[in-house]
Amino acid sequence: MLTYLRKRIISSALPLVVVVIGVFALARMTGNPAALYLPLNATEAMREDFAARNGLDQPIWAQMAQYFGGLLRLDFGASMRTGEDAAAMALRAFPATLQLAAMTMLLAIVLAVVVGSIAALKPNGLLDRFASFTSMIAASIPDFWLAIVGIWVFAISLGWVPTSGVVGAAAWFLPVATLLMRPFGTLVQVIRGAMVSALSEPYIKLARSKGATQRRVIASHALRNAAAPALTVAGDLTVGLVNGAVVVETIFGWPGIGKLMIDSILQRDFAVLQACVLLTAVAIFALNILIDLGYALLDPRVRPSAGKRARRSARRDASRHRPSQPAPAVAAERADATEHELTRSLP
Amino acid sequence: MMLTNHHRTRRLSLAVAASALLGTTALSGCSVANSEQAAGAPASGTASDTLRVVLQQEPPTLEACESNLTSTGVVVRSTITEPLIERNPSSGELEPKLATEWSSDDDQTWTLKLREGVKFHDGSDFTAADAAATIDRAVNSELGCNVEGYVFGDDDLKLKVVDDYTLEVTAVKKDPILPLRLSFLEVVPEETSATEKVREPIGTGPYQIDDWKAGQSIDVSAYADYWGEAPSFAKANYQWRSEGSVRAAMITSGEADIATGLSPEDNIGELGVTYPNNETVALRMHNDKAPLNDERVRRAINYAIDKESIVASLYGGRDKAAAQLVPAGVVGHSEDLPVWEYNPEKAKALVEEAKAAGEDVSAPINMIVRTAQFPKIQELAQVIQEQLSQVGLTVNLKMLETSQHLTYQVRPFPTDEDGAIMLMTQHGNQAGDAAFTVDQYMTTKGAQSAFGTKELDELIATADAATGEDRQAAFEKVFKYQNDEVVQFAHIAHQTGMLGVAANIDYTPNSSTGDELRLAEVSSK
Repeated sequence: MLTYLRKRIISSALPLVVVVIGVFALARMTGNPAALYLPLNATEAMREDFAARNGLDQPIWAQMAQYFGGLLRLDFGASMRTGEDAAAMALRAFPATLQLAAMTMLLAIVLAVVVGSIAALKPNGLLDRFASFTSMIAASIPDFWLAIVGIWVFAISLGWVPTSGVVGAAAWFLPVATLLMRPFGTLVQVIRGAMVSALSEPYIKLARSKGATQRRVIASHALRNAAAPALTVAGDLTVGLVNGAVVVETIFGWPGIGKLMIDSILQRDFAVLQACVLLTAVAIFALNILIDLGYALLDPRVRPSAGKRARRSARRDASRHRPSQPAPAVAAERADATEHELTRSLP
Repeated sequence: MMLTNHHRTRRLSLAVAASALLGTTALSGCSVANSEQAAGAPASGTASDTLRVVLQQEPPTLEACESNLTSTGVVVRSTITEPLIERNPSSGELEPKLATEWSSDDDQTWTLKLREGVKFHDGSDFTAADAAATIDRAVNSELGCNVEGYVFGDDDLKLKVVDDYTLEVTAVKKDPILPLRLSFLEVVPEETSATEKVREPIGTGPYQIDDWKAGQSIDVSAYADYWGEAPSFAKANYQWRSEGSVRAAMITSGEADIATGLSPEDNIGELGVTYPNNETVALRMHNDKAPLNDERVRRAINYAIDKESIVASLYGGRDKAAAQLVPAGVVGHSEDLPVWEYNPEKAKALVEEAKAAGEDVSAPINMIVRTAQFPKIQELAQVIQEQLSQVGLTVNLKMLETSQHLTYQVRPFPTDEDGAIMLMTQHGNQAGDAAFTVDQYMTTKGAQSAFGTKELDELIATADAATGEDRQAAFEKVFKYQNDEVVQFAHIAHQTGMLGVAANIDYTPNSSTGDELRLAEVSSK
């Protein structure tokens, strides 16, 4: 297990460096920030002075060397916009995003399990059709539109919740409800598909013939087997949220990392942008490791102790339960990667 | 047996995972990381002693010497800190603030008498040494203050503290508007660092900073020892939302008392108050490429744009068709300068004339427009594009974000453009004097001027040195000359801003409200 973790961390370091170098270089290719920070009538002397003060007069490789030197000392640089420490700004914003993502995914998963399981009981029945219809809509609504309509209905017309902000429990309602729709809609489709397939397996017939109750059949047998593909998709949806829910953070004034990242891109605030990217990249790598571990926990076939044939069938199952629209087609790759890495690394 | 154990382990792991997820959210206690109950955020919109203001964005800093940046100044200026001299935004007159009088015999050395009995928020007395340190810090130091570049350029000022309440300021050359320039400097104590910028300044203003919750809000409270009249509200709370419709919704739902930067589309209804915001929209035409290198084509563009209809249909008749880059209230603005008439026939004839003379009038013109710079900018650009194509010109619309747009706005301009450049610019003159406009926009080498003429440069130099009524007349001549002889600009409209003001709040916005929202002028009805 520890060997596995160590290897994962080492193999994650290279992509991290590539991401940071890429962001470093690409950000600087988008133009000189001097025009954004200096008055429009600034003289040439002022522009040179600005560049020198921010180290922008150095060649890019020298700037990069200086940046990586700083990283080793945990110095992420200072924001050009606010003068604050860039790492402090990113670390301050990140928990707000993580909380929003955790709350959203928790509710999305619980709701999707309930709705998806009920829908799978009678495929093509009235409830199933209704669940498929609503989940399709939920997965397709643009969040910008939903957020504005939500404010109009719940904050202005009904006055139940505040329009925006972070003060009080009621302030969570609109951001979470807005963010919830896409993961909920997607997961309902995944869980329904996986449950339909699980419920038709021979072991369910066996369980029923042995007199197991409907609840036990669903909760203990079918749902557990349907959980693996759902986890894969849920993991990917979480990664999207951890990256910052830019639209929702912007509209609701949620002080998260997505808004900070967009602002620092628009303001060419390089140090803050790099700190944000580095932080979210590390978080996403960590999350991916957790998802892989969770996957192995749920599906014994992808564990290293399982035979090759079992792993192949796990992969086939995972790809079969991919949602039709618009969930990412990652289940198969995830199963593949997990199989590969676990085989390689676990003792 | 094995199976049962297996199940138990798995169940346990799942339970652990679920509780971890729950724990994260529960630990937060339904409050967002790093957030607390904001002082000025009562759950309902009931009357309180706290004034709640919602801005477009969080101030990047509250540093006093950056207060000519809109997002900083709107909080700092005349609320946290105060200038020596203040410009009345309605009359344009200079009025005493921390300086009670000022005079000069030669327009180069100015003597300022300072107000006695003024205290900084830290309890120290305000004296000439503080005023001198403020000017020295903002204008003469290596701090790189925004106000230095904006108002003073590379020239330093010589300062002499005559006594505790008398200060002498000497410019490098005659400067009849030095008091106006000084009105941009917000006074901070002598002890303020001259080598580093300060995010939360100490000032002499009616309010002092209590708490800045980064990313969330700023709380200020009335300063008990304020030298002037105590403000109506004991406290104020600033928040920020980037969506105009959300700011408007905060007013209508009673979550905020004042919202800045609204537009009529934000559904604010009766609570939206319009005011002239000193901004003027114009097209700047570069004369280095065909067809804009031909003066007839630049004139044709002026005739081809139906400014009155644009103002009426896109801006609900609130804006005013423009004939010059500065609106009424700015020294140099002329009411008599005629707006170019809308005459597409004349425009077509001029284009034909240019074509007959061998000008390539079909060459593309790239109209450079900044995304979301002001309400309905894209629609405005599309209308202009259509009107210009009607008179036989080829216009490509290039919508760019701020940073890219700035490369076209300020010298050095791009040279590899595949067409003639026509830049849509929004210019605000907050200083109240046309010198701040024409030096940049109309001189041959001005930072935001595409071209000029020797004659115009001379007219501008004369106007810059003039005082009183001569100054007004001289700048009027400059604007007329640009329209008659140079035609670098096609002016569109003088704009208006909109402020959301809750029904129980008494506040009348003026032309400087967008740049400095004086909380002391707000009261409840």
